[in-house]
Amino acid sequence: MINLVVALGEQLLQRLALMGQALLMLVQSLRVLPGKHGLSRLTQQLYVVGVQSLIIMLVSALFIGMVLGLQGYTLLSAYGSEQAVGQMVALTLVRELSPVVAALLFAGRAGSALTAEIGLMKATEQLASLEMFGVDPLHRIVAPRFLAGLICLPILVAIFSLVGIYGGHIVAVDWLGVYSGSYWGNMQQAVDFGEDVINGMIKALVFAFVVSWIALYQGYSCVPTSQGISTATTRTVVYSSLAILGFDFILTALMFGGA
Amino acid sequence: MHKRWIEISVGLMLVAGVAALLSLALQVSGGHLTRSADRYPIDALFENAAGLAPKAQVTLAGVTVGEVVAVVIDPQTLMAKVQMQINGEVNYLSIDSSASILTAGLLGEKYVGLTVGAEDEVLEAGDMIEDTQSALVLEELIGQFLLNLGDSN
Amino acid sequence: MAVNGIIEIHNLSFFRGNRAIFKDIDVSIAAGKITAIMGPSGTGKTTLLQLIGGQLQPHCGAVQLFGQNIAQLNRKQLNQLRGRMGVLFQSGALFTDLTVFENVAFPLREHTQLNDQQLHDRVLLKLEAVGLRGARDLRPSHLSGGMARRVALARAVALEPEIILYDEPFAGQDPIAMAVLQRLIKGLNDEMQLTSVLVSHDIAEACAIADRVILLGEGRVLAHDTPEALQTSTDPAVRQFMHGEADGVIPFHFPAPPLAAELLCSNASAADKQGGLL
Repeated sequence: MINLVVALGEQLLQRLALMGQALLMLVQSLRVLPGKHGLSRLTQQLYVVGVQSLIIMLVSALFIGMVLGLQGYTLLSAYGSEQAVGQMVALTLVRELSPVVAALLFAGRAGSALTAEIGLMKATEQLASLEMFGVDPLHRIVAPRFLAGLICLPILVAIFSLVGIYGGHIVAVDWLGVYSGSYWGNMQQAVDFGEDVINGMIKALVFAFVVSWIALYQGYSCVPTSQGISTATTRTVVYSSLAILGFDFILTALMFGGA
Repeated sequence: MHKRWIEISVGLMLVAGVAALLSLALQVSGGHLTRSADRYPIDALFENAAGLAPKAQVTLAGVTVGEVVAVVIDPQTLMAKVQMQINGEVNYLSIDSSASILTAGLLGEKYVGLTVGAEDEVLEAGDMIEDTQSALVLEELIGQFLLNLGDSN
Repeated sequence: MAVNGIIEIHNLSFFRGNRAIFKDIDVSIAAGKITAIMGPSGTGKTTLLQLIGGQLQPHCGAVQLFGQNIAQLNRKQLNQLRGRMGVLFQSGALFTDLTVFENVAFPLREHTQLNDQQLHDRVLLKLEAVGLRGARDLRPSHLSGGMARRVALARAVALEPEIILYDEPFAGQDPIAMAVLQRLIKGLNDEMQLTSVLVSHDIAEACAIADRVILLGEGRVLAHDTPEALQTSTDPAVRQFMHGEADGVIPFHFPAPPLAAELLCSNASAADKQGGLL
């Protein structure tokens, strides 16, 4: 029995130590301002992390918006309120689905790519090489990727919401016959910029922070073998997903719960 | 060359993001680019403001002319004081106008309906509407109905 | 040349978990010479290189480079010191998203203020020295292992360091590539008056070019002498390694109970009966 407690205690301490390491890594990366080619490196990462995720975001947003329009219409017509489908689609997307789904997709696509890339650099001793040339790999490699993640996800979430709403419009208005005026009109009544859109963006920012951090730490601290990289990549996706859902609950309770 | 494409596409993505955010602000949440600069405050006291919430519409003949900003208790009269912001161009509300709390749609959202009176003088910023009709409360209606039923018997 | 070695290690101890990789060792590496660090696998040869390069900190004792204790340097001073040292990693460790030219130019861009023309010329000269000037626009993924190592070597000497550390430069190379590397290591050392430290277990290749050999084993220095002296040594541990004997001080058999007991034992365990999980 006592062994179990000791084992649990050790596990807990180990987890805490890992979190501490992760925090140190982050602080160390961001401590110094970027140097000569900082903007160029950031741009490169914005491309890899953001632009290359656009396709999956656009397609997913379109389909999710369309499904919401379809399901929403079906559910609301039972109450004769199908004209309210616009506000349903918009609120669902802006408050919940856009930040969460976009973040989950981001973790799977960009997050795992970041982890694998850094893990491979570690395994092929490129990170050690940088150190021996007097270049801090945290500063040169990790920092631009972190900032890119932080910038890209909120942008992608905004685009996701918009495309989803238009997807809903295609189904509800063009296909199912809801009046375009009602679709947009009800939506405008119900959606508040400060409360709904901004809160959704705050969620996106929090998720961006968490996913980028996890992805970069897993890559940086992985075991430098192919098995190690594979484990690290899987962990990135799993931990990111759990973190996104967990934080979503906390943020939703804080933002929308009281009212 | 490749580098050029990277820079262009990143720029496009950033612009798209900002445009999306602006769209969300304007088209989706019905924001106004010009804000309360041209609105003026009007208050109204109600006996019962049940269900009226801030952001609710204020209408005149069914047309939105403003919105409810706050619903608070007036400490002197112990009635519900509804603070509204009316659009600047609606400057023909006579001082004997009346305000009622009405219900919209099936989901039961409350809103304020105004009716203009006969006087020449109009309401100005900070004035109070005195003729008010409170929200209909279901229990009171049933009580009233039963009372009438009892009377007729 | 200083009386003290350019690299001095005093009373160094280093542990990995509970295992002592090094216990209280002293090493002195003379300037201008090629020193080979050899020993059986797992004795910590790469670890020693990492300790010299400052990538690891010793648990006890000190590593001194150019007379300075590297553990006492701050980051800036350490980086300055590293600028006087080049490292060739086992896999070359070229930056995969840069061309060969850009890889070699990297340290120059980081640490010097050369203009484009000067940088261009310097890079080409270094590539010429390793025989790969024509490959300058290739990407690391298009290079063979041997070529990648030579590019990494050009990169390591780009800043004209005073010390170079080689981590297993001959491992897995064909005879031609090995001969090329030998020529390069010796040539560079003599031409640029470097101090070269190479870690290897290719006895013939390393001994052919080394001026001094340090043999590591069991967490300590077994021998530190010229290659010829080690070849003729009578120490059993040294003999086993230098002459490639399968059994000796380092035993062939992993520790286990006597065979007779395991084979003829009538109480074979249940796991043996089942044949395991397969």
